[in-house]
Amino acid sequence: MTDKTNSLLYLDGVSVSFDGFKAINNLSLVLQQGEMRAIIGPNGAGKTTMMDIMTGKTRPDTGDVIFDGEIDLTSHDEADIATMGIGRKFQKPTVFEGHTVEDNIALALAGSRGIMATLFHRRSEAGEGRIRQILDTIRLSHLRGNTAGNLSHGQKQWLEIGMLLAQDPKLLLVDEPVAGMTDSETEATASLLRDIAEDHSVIVVEHDMGFVRELDVKVTCLHEGSVLSEGSLDHVSADPKVIEVYLGR
Amino acid sequence: MILTHFLKKGLTWPITLTILIILAIAVAVPFSNLYLDPAHPLHVPNHLVGLFGKYLTYALLALALDLVWGYCGILSLGHGAFFALGGYAMGMYLMRQIGSRGVYGDPVLPDFMVFLNWQELPWFWYGFDQFWFAALMIILVPGGLAFIFGWFAFRSRVTGVYLSIITQAMTYALLLAFFRNDMGFGGNNGLTDFKDILGYDIQASTTRAGLFSASAIALALGVLITAAITGSQFGKLMIAVRDAESRTRFLGYRPEMVKLFAFVVSAIMAGIAGALYVPQVGIINPGEFAPANSIEVVVWTAVGGRGTIIGPIIGALVVNGGKSWFTGAFPEYWLFALGGLFVLVTLLLPKGIVGTVRDGWAKLRPAKQAPIESDTTQKPADQANSQPQAAE
Amino acid sequence: MYRKSILALLTIWCLSLFAPVANAQDADLQAIIQKFATSKNFNQTKAIVTELAETGDASVAGVLNALSDGSVYFRKSDNQVFVVPGSGKTLELFDPLTGEAAGEAGKRDLKKVKVNNALRRSIRDAIGGLTLASENPSVRLTAANTLAANPDVEALPAIEAALERETDDTVAKRLRQAQASAILISDRSLEDKTNAVNVMTALGNREALAFLTRFEAQADGELKTLAARAITKIEKNLKLWGMGQNVWYGVSLGSVLLLAAIGLAITFGVMGVINMAHGEMVMLGAYTTYLVQEIIRNSMPELMDWSLLIALPLAFMVSALVGLVLERGVIRFLYGRPLETLLATWGVSLILQQAVRTLFGPSNQEVSNPSWMSGAFELGQITITWNRLYILIFALCVFAVLLWAFNKTSLGLQMRAVTQNRRMASAMGIRTPWVDALTFMLGSGIAGIAGVALSQIDNVSPNLGQSYIIDSFMVVVFGGVGNLWGTLVGALSLGVFNKFLEPYAGAVLGKILVLVFIILFIQKKPRGLFALKGRAIET
Repeated sequence: MTDKTNSLLYLDGVSVSFDGFKAINNLSLVLQQGEMRAIIGPNGAGKTTMMDIMTGKTRPDTGDVIFDGEIDLTSHDEADIATMGIGRKFQKPTVFEGHTVEDNIALALAGSRGIMATLFHRRSEAGEGRIRQILDTIRLSHLRGNTAGNLSHGQKQWLEIGMLLAQDPKLLLVDEPVAGMTDSETEATASLLRDIAEDHSVIVVEHDMGFVRELDVKVTCLHEGSVLSEGSLDHVSADPKVIEVYLGR
Repeated sequence: MILTHFLKKGLTWPITLTILIILAIAVAVPFSNLYLDPAHPLHVPNHLVGLFGKYLTYALLALALDLVWGYCGILSLGHGAFFALGGYAMGMYLMRQIGSRGVYGDPVLPDFMVFLNWQELPWFWYGFDQFWFAALMIILVPGGLAFIFGWFAFRSRVTGVYLSIITQAMTYALLLAFFRNDMGFGGNNGLTDFKDILGYDIQASTTRAGLFSASAIALALGVLITAAITGSQFGKLMIAVRDAESRTRFLGYRPEMVKLFAFVVSAIMAGIAGALYVPQVGIINPGEFAPANSIEVVVWTAVGGRGTIIGPIIGALVVNGGKSWFTGAFPEYWLFALGGLFVLVTLLLPKGIVGTVRDGWAKLRPAKQAPIESDTTQKPADQANSQPQAAE
Repeated sequence: MYRKSILALLTIWCLSLFAPVANAQDADLQAIIQKFATSKNFNQTKAIVTELAETGDASVAGVLNALSDGSVYFRKSDNQVFVVPGSGKTLELFDPLTGEAAGEAGKRDLKKVKVNNALRRSIRDAIGGLTLASENPSVRLTAANTLAANPDVEALPAIEAALERETDDTVAKRLRQAQASAILISDRSLEDKTNAVNVMTALGNREALAFLTRFEAQADGELKTLAARAITKIEKNLKLWGMGQNVWYGVSLGSVLLLAAIGLAITFGVMGVINMAHGEMVMLGAYTTYLVQEIIRNSMPELMDWSLLIALPLAFMVSALVGLVLERGVIRFLYGRPLETLLATWGVSLILQQAVRTLFGPSNQEVSNPSWMSGAFELGQITITWNRLYILIFALCVFAVLLWAFNKTSLGLQMRAVTQNRRMASAMGIRTPWVDALTFMLGSGIAGIAGVALSQIDNVSPNLGQSYIIDSFMVVVFGGVGNLWGTLVGALSLGVFNKFLEPYAGAVLGKILVLVFIILFIQKKPRGLFALKGRAIET
């Protein structure tokens, strides 16, 4: 029980099924404050559904999802959870294609989300500085005024990470951040995530084992909606069960 | 202070120019109608003042639709309902102004109620003898309906085509309801035979000129408010909701509230347009609720260019001008033309006239599109967004 | 009431004209009939009527009926009696017995045989008694109906005599009703009347209820309580039957909705194409029916009964062809852009409407019911018209065929494959554009054959389609998109729901309430009654 109150995210006995198909089956997972965790697993292992549950998009049939020791996430919706401090990057990069890079960051920037607040919003000096800082971090300063729809795939991935940073969440959920990236981009992304992990908790879902190795963090392997193996990457990749369902093929 | 900042934000030069042109028309047309000699080449005859005044209210309606469709991605097929409700509120005021000059001469009851043997005024007609009350209702009734409807629809995440179809069902249900005599709104015949408005004879050319100016000023205000809303951070949020609704949710926004606000503001604009329309055409009947009317508004907006502010205004004027000419010259073929317009615009001109012209302009002058990087003040950011893009 | 009985009598007369006539007795009958010319007063006329009635020959019903209408005249010159139905200066004469034309005469040369109301009553009884003896069961049924609707003590012996030899169940039932009502107003014994009330209760129809209510108001003592009890019982029964009738109306409306929506269930439900011109596909089917009937009427009228069967494949082809042009010409450029599809197809619907209006004019066209579809029959107290029943059966057949085509044929398999994963289907060698076109054609063609059925119950005008489009979408959305069974259940339940609201709220308000209900329902369950659930749907 100490787990529950001390941890940042605490999943216990979570199950969800769609029309009889068990997408998540009695899943339990604990993430400590400040921890970065990599999640691996074959297609259909329930990785995306797990993120859907953490962000309030899907409601679990059974089980506890506790955030920050006390908040029951199952009773909140996406917007609530986002303001509480869980940010999410989607598998397919989702940015506002009609807006400029700058506006994408500005919309994500922490601040009041009310109607009147946005209607009469005036950007402060601090906000301006923060935007510039984030653009530097994600290396898109030179594309600040460009329409996001015109960015390359990798740049969109980075922009979305930038939007996550602008939200300044306690926990970042990052779904396949390096899909479709070149090797050098992948490397840069890994170092970016490591930097972020210094003052945030992060969950990364990724297929790319090289990338996971580079992150050098605790790994959880999912299979058919529950945890198959957990530990260091070496430990997990040596696990015969993991080899059988995932790596060994 | 905050408000002036808010309004100023919308005032980019194309918007300022548009507003000035509309205001100039608000003055010029009535002037030429009232003070120029009928033989003068620039004289605008009475019937054209009425016709143009009607077009201006249509333009305001199209602009209202554009706010929700072009900027927020809500294709409402029921905006005619808000227009008609505003019109009915105005019509009820005008009916009460008739007083004992009706055919039956009843001092309180409108003619159709006397005809139906009603003994007293229904409760929902109370207060409409006062202009301020009617004006309040012109805002509250369409706004209220939009709020209730939107509250349910957006919160339960009804989107896209489903939403379009239930907005159509909404206006269809209202159409059926207003056709009923016992609803108390004149049934099939609606409200008509108006005598005067605010004490002025509604047939007098000065009154008609005044109504024309009022329509033009309302349109100018509509442009100003739409520009201010779309130019603000909220406007960017609307476009974000349009393009990737669920993403905004994961950023902590509530897209249903964004849509609800836009929907209500838009419904109020449509209601005001309807209220200005009724005294100029002299009648309001349930036909205004017909789903076909609402869809026609959509085509005006599409032709002009949704997601732009000038587009819907141009679209409403062009299509209605064309309709007036067509129904005069080839009445048989107007529906062919209108139907063809729907098909052609969606297939060949998805960005509408204004969007296409702007894109063509941008291609001709690529230098202008380059972003200004070093500037950290607000100005460039505002300008970059004063003309939001059409939907993909 | 009076008008109605006159109508009934006229029918009897017409029918009796065709009834076989025994020639041997004609001369005797003619002799009696000729006496009308010499009748001095109403009493004498009445005696002649009685005499005619006592011959028991149904062929005199015609002249009696004409007498009641005041169209029996005699020629002043030779006291010949004729039936003269027309009016004017010169009148056409008809033989009173055979109904054959018998020349003309000026109005002045004729004199009317006068009748009064008392006489009319005797005439009616006489006819009732006469036609009850007819060999034609439908003549007997009409007579029995007339007597049941206008109970008459004097007709009682005739009724009872007729009842004894009646072989037809339906006629006998009506006769029993006539008998019971006549007994109740006669001076027969209490026991007889009690029996009569019981008979009426067992019959339990609206007519019996109306009669008993009138009877109860003037009865006293035991009979009054008996009648009151019978009334409550009949009312309760009728309420149940009324409910049954409502269910039937609802199911019938549901079948119409199903027909209109079923094509949409394919184009919208399966393909996700918002076809606002769907209603016009239905309209085209109805106009095809109209054209087929016009051609048949002008060149081979003997095929009229087959007109609908001939129209079905043609309507399917016409609408499917228009659907093909629509899909290839417009919709395929707009896949994945539902709102644009909505607008473009709306434009197409305007064009189609105006085209039909230009070609055929804006007014309603007449499409007739083949003989096998007209008329009605009764199931207990429920009246079921044949055309509605056939439409229900037809709708269910179309549904069944579609379900089969969708689940069991290779085209159906390909359709489902393309809708679920276009790229994968294409990679597996399915020609997706071809499947799209075929699917859309199928949906449109089915709308066309729905038009054939709907032409039987609705006005065939250019606006036919518009009145169905919103309803159809409501049905598909309510039932659950992409689910044929959902469309079936949605259509039937909305139909029944609508018809059950109508008695309380009226037709228009009922429809509004249904719309409001669906609007609220969609907001509660945006994916309809039979929603598919899962991750793929959300994205």
